[in-house]
Amino acid sequence: MSDITDKEIKAACVFISPLIVLIFLFILVPVLGTLLNSMFQDVAFLDKQFVFLRNFRQLFADSGFRQALKFTLLFVLVSVPIEIVLGMAFAMLMNTHIPLRGLLRACVLIPWAIPAAVSGRIWELIYNYSYGLANFIFTELGITTEPVNWLGTSLGAFIAVVIADVWKTTPFAAIILLAGLQAIPVELLNQARVDRANFLQVFYKVVLPLMKPIIIVALLFRTIDGLRVFDLIYVLSGGGPGGATTSISHYAYKYFLGGDFGYGSAVSVILFMIAFLLSVFYVKAGRFMTGQV
Amino acid sequence: MSENTVRNWLVLAGIVFCLAFCLFPFIYMLVISLSTRADFLSQRASFKFTLDNFNAVLTDGSLHFPDYLRNSFLISLASAFFCVVIASLAAYAITRLQFPGRMSLLFFALAVSMFPQIGLVGYLFKFMTRLGWINTYQALVLPYTAWILPLSLWILVSYFSQIPRELDKAALVDGCTYRQILCKVILPVAAPGVLSVFLLSFIFAFNEFMFALMLTTDYRARTVPVGIALFQGLHGQTPWGNIMAASVVTTLPIVILTLVFQRHIMAGLTRGAVKG
Amino acid sequence: MKVELTDITKEFTSLRGRVVALDDISIKIDEGEFFVLLGPSGCGKSTLLNLIAGLEKPTAGRIQFDDKVVADTDRRIFLTPKERNVAFVFQSYALYPHLDVFENIAFPLRIARIEKAEIKKAVEQAAATLEITDLLAVRPAELSGGQRQRVAIARAIVRKPNVFLLDEPLSNLDARLRIAMRAEIKNLQDKLGITTVYVTHDQVEAMGLGDRIAVLNRGKIEQIGTPESLYEKPAGIFVAQFIGSPPMNIIDASIIKADGKLCVVLGNQKLVIPSEKIREIEGLKENHFILGLRPEHITINPPDNAQMLTATIHSVESLGRETAVYLDVDGLAITALCDREGMGKGRQVRVRIHLDKMHIFKGER
Ligand SMILES: Nc1ncnc2c1ncn2[C@@H]1O[C@H](COP(=O)(O)OP(=O)(O)OP(=O)(O)O)[C@@H](O)[C@H]1O
Ligand SMILES: [Mg+2]
Repeated sequence: MSDITDKEIKAACVFISPLIVLIFLFILVPVLGTLLNSMFQDVAFLDKQFVFLRNFRQLFADSGFRQALKFTLLFVLVSVPIEIVLGMAFAMLMNTHIPLRGLLRACVLIPWAIPAAVSGRIWELIYNYSYGLANFIFTELGITTEPVNWLGTSLGAFIAVVIADVWKTTPFAAIILLAGLQAIPVELLNQARVDRANFLQVFYKVVLPLMKPIIIVALLFRTIDGLRVFDLIYVLSGGGPGGATTSISHYAYKYFLGGDFGYGSAVSVILFMIAFLLSVFYVKAGRFMTGQV
Repeated sequence: MSENTVRNWLVLAGIVFCLAFCLFPFIYMLVISLSTRADFLSQRASFKFTLDNFNAVLTDGSLHFPDYLRNSFLISLASAFFCVVIASLAAYAITRLQFPGRMSLLFFALAVSMFPQIGLVGYLFKFMTRLGWINTYQALVLPYTAWILPLSLWILVSYFSQIPRELDKAALVDGCTYRQILCKVILPVAAPGVLSVFLLSFIFAFNEFMFALMLTTDYRARTVPVGIALFQGLHGQTPWGNIMAASVVTTLPIVILTLVFQRHIMAGLTRGAVKG
Repeated sequence: MKVELTDITKEFTSLRGRVVALDDISIKIDEGEFFVLLGPSGCGKSTLLNLIAGLEKPTAGRIQFDDKVVADTDRRIFLTPKERNVAFVFQSYALYPHLDVFENIAFPLRIARIEKAEIKKAVEQAAATLEITDLLAVRPAELSGGQRQRVAIARAIVRKPNVFLLDEPLSNLDARLRIAMRAEIKNLQDKLGITTVYVTHDQVEAMGLGDRIAVLNRGKIEQIGTPESLYEKPAGIFVAQFIGSPPMNIIDASIIKADGKLCVVLGNQKLVIPSEKIREIEGLKENHFILGLRPEHITINPPDNAQMLTATIHSVESLGRETAVYLDVDGLAITALCDREGMGKGRQVRVRIHLDKMHIFKGER
């Protein structure tokens, strides 16, 4: 090994060590700690005790957990496709040549940029039974005669949460997809014009196939993010009514809050594993796409 | 009508819908915050303008909103600052220095960013309790920095690797040390990227909720999102006017940031995502 | 400052495996000399320059500036570029895009923490030398290629380097500017008297600039010498073909004895070897050799009646002042240079070969 590379390696160590140390201390250690904790009975005021997989066995019998799992998966399944489709539409709008395009882009960005807790609060008020905007519009327009009990029924709360999430995260999808749109060579679109393809044909025959990889990226980003949804729902519906909108993260949080770190950790580990499997799928899909394109 | 006219009308309609969709909650928030009563819609009462709500959240010491705001700004600024510094150092090493495992480090960072926050927060709580750091700034700044670092790293690596190597060589010949190359050449040349990372880190830290909820207990370290989520009226009933006024005050700096730096924020986001 | 390279080898380990970029190279560059490294793309010119600058570390060998060893693999000595005080001009100019011209030129001085007033004086002097005084407040993005190159050179000379290193500094410029800058660089070097190593793949540039030239091929030195000696006495086929334009004709030739005289066979025709070359030919062990002949040593339809070949004109290319004529001698392709018009394609011509000027190379081509 030569001196210059020694020197480079030394410099490199100095340069990357803050990153490594921080990530190690505040991400890796907690993650490993959680993994370990999931195999302990670790409740406040009781002695810590190794129980191996007992927490997980309990989980599968736990109807509250099953409900959280079902809600989270359903939530992702419903909201993510809406976000991608709507995001695609927004991206195409943001990509047209119009005056004040920068302002339009900034406006689209705003819902994503503000704290989810704030948007949760705004939507909570919008859905308010007696004086919220939603019921005002519904009754004024005569869509329903009675006000809708948005946050008081399971279905109402689910719809409310999905709409709020779509509002909050469509901008993100739109921005990612916009980047994809901008990467499409203009000549290709002009060629399609010359070939007298109409707007829809251009979209289906040219734009969509070229966008496939980036759509997959956006889809998986949103999916992984949706799986760990917490703050918006915590603020908006508080997980209710009766746990109908409690996400997995929220469910684990409740146990942490109650001082049951073993069980809470076990719930988190399940979420890890779902996210991990999806990441693997994501990497595989990414490889597949690059291999193909 | 020709296809073009149809298209133009469609675009116009789309833009109107898009703007309405994105902005109506803000308008609603603004209206309620400026109104004497939150229920004026249903009561068919007319809108009465007032600044009382703003007055209350900004001056009423018992609501602690100014404290939350200060905490949020300091914590987010510190996190964003550390993120930029630490990620720049690492991105420089990864793009410029030959050391084994450069690529693995990058993918390690990517993998780390996939961990859901809930998986960290339980252990962090115990960790911080043991350190006696619960309800302090460092209890949030350090995890925030660690949590935002992977994205920052990816964005900066993508910017740094576009700077021609000959610039480094020129700087070396001109007598720079590695640190000087980074500070005097790479960072200034990649300034837009650095700005993107700073803005994104700030926004992420400012918006973070779960750590703040778990690791703070009162106004001494609690941040705005948690403050607003847990906003309790002084007299029982939910004080919607106050909450909306607080929300407006919170949203305003972010909205201004977004309007001014839209380009940089979008660039950062796309680099972070598309590369990943 | 003298620069001496001894037994320099440089290997790279890359994804393709090990690449030997430089193979056992020794060069001595004199004080104040304008030394040119010439060779085709990928032959290791830039690598050699980087080694002199201290941007790369040799795998083996020693580099000395005067008596000071700046790199020695045996004694594990390696000085950084900073410690060597060299200046470098890059093909892409490598100007700092965030700094204006003044700050670009001042950069090495600022790093060296030189006093402000002194920096100002030095920068203004360097700018005056390169006639860019009116550009000092401009950012590099607004400069033309030629102006950028001047700034890069000003940055290089501003701190009085021991050695001045230039890596294809003119290859991004258009043809006219390149010729103008070439003259300017030569003048500047004469004036400053700094030892200069100049990399190029353009033999015309090398011939015009260099006091001496080293021709590199695949990491090895083919020949070192003055431009004239490389042209007149190329050490091998590679140098012979690389230098001169159009390139030297390289022909497989065989020797026979006819009527008691040694003759060269070209195609189906033979030419008597002139007395100047007899000794050299007799020294060959085989009756095969490679004949090198510059295009200007072939005359078409000469007025005299000395021994001739007959050939067909395959094609004609005007080079401006001269005309390159591609001839076909019984299937052999030979290029000639002549200054006359009337070289119709397909015409039969008589060709005089100045065998007294031929180069004789051994071995295969
Ligand atoms: N960092 C490196 N890693 C691996 N191989 C390298 C590296 N740098 C150069 N090489 C190899 O070394 C050889 C010489 O490269 P070098 O850049 O010196 O060529 P050059 O003569 O300057 O060519 P050009 O005229 O194209 O600039 C090439 O085969 C190149 O691929
Ligand atoms: Mg080169």
